[in-house]
Amino acid sequence: MKASQQLVSWARRKSPWIILFNSGACNACDIEVLAGLTPRFDIERLGIQAKGTPRHADILIVTGPVTRKQASRLRMIHDQMPDPKYVLAMGACGAMGGVFKGLYHVMDGVASVVPVDVYIAGCPPRPDEIIDGIVKILDLMEQDMAHGGKEWRTKPEAVPEPSEVPP
Amino acid sequence: MTYLTRSEVEGVLGGPAETVRPNRIVVTTPPNRTRSALQAATSQLACDHLVQIAVIDTGQEFEIVYVLTGAHRTLLSIRTRLPREAPRIRSVHDLLPPAGIYERQIHDLFGITFEGHPNLRRIILNEDWPEGEYPLRKDWTMDPAKSYGGGTKEVS
Repeated sequence: MKASQQLVSWARRKSPWIILFNSGACNACDIEVLAGLTPRFDIERLGIQAKGTPRHADILIVTGPVTRKQASRLRMIHDQMPDPKYVLAMGACGAMGGVFKGLYHVMDGVASVVPVDVYIAGCPPRPDEIIDGIVKILDLMEQDMAHGGKEWRTKPEAVPEPSEVPP
Repeated sequence: MTYLTRSEVEGVLGGPAETVRPNRIVVTTPPNRTRSALQAATSQLACDHLVQIAVIDTGQEFEIVYVLTGAHRTLLSIRTRLPREAPRIRSVHDLLPPAGIYERQIHDLFGITFEGHPNLRRIILNEDWPEGEYPLRKDWTMDPAKSYGGGTKEVS
């Protein structure tokens, strides 16, 4: 790894920038993230800054069950982020649709639209749980860098043993 | 200003009115006379404000309720019933401009056609929602075999 790359990845781990995307949530998750920015939790002391554009962000925090109308927009925002990008799905809705699961207008969870790295449980999660989720993503970043990418985390296709394949 | 009275409303709109609360009057009209009733209510009863257009799916028919009010603070509901097969009614977007956007939403979710509406496009459902599916009808259920849109499912 070149010295310049090392410097960039060090800076990314020391100051991850986040972007918040509401994909049809009830706003409870959003105010918990904002509470994290206020002096009581003050996530900026950890270098975490909320950014206004996905092009500046490392971590995409998605709240809500992803409405069908928002799905293509969420995909577009995810595509605009520079690599390496990480996605954090917040709350019960982000995990599998929550109370909105099965309704005609939702996609049932963030993972059906963009790949998710970390889920935070709760309805809504507390700010300290959000901070914990971001710190877990920072650990993932470090491991991904050691493995040279995210591929080591995806499970390989199940290949049947030759003896199990019928002749 | 004082509330409208039942006799005042009956005198202008013709049909039998019902006072459900001191400031709420309900009039039921046939679908072909709804537009003239709304016109009379806006011009002669000073009901210049459209609060909402409600739709009720009773299972046998659709009930459309136009709720109007004005400086007299009486809520005047003009109710009409449409058959469930091919429901259509004349649009009132030219009498009450805010009605246009309610009519688009009702068309989207209930499939009621408003004749004469200049722009009866989708407003609330996603752009790739299948045609002929109206999710707020009581007999509608989701078909798991069918795609309801929402963009491509490409997960890496």
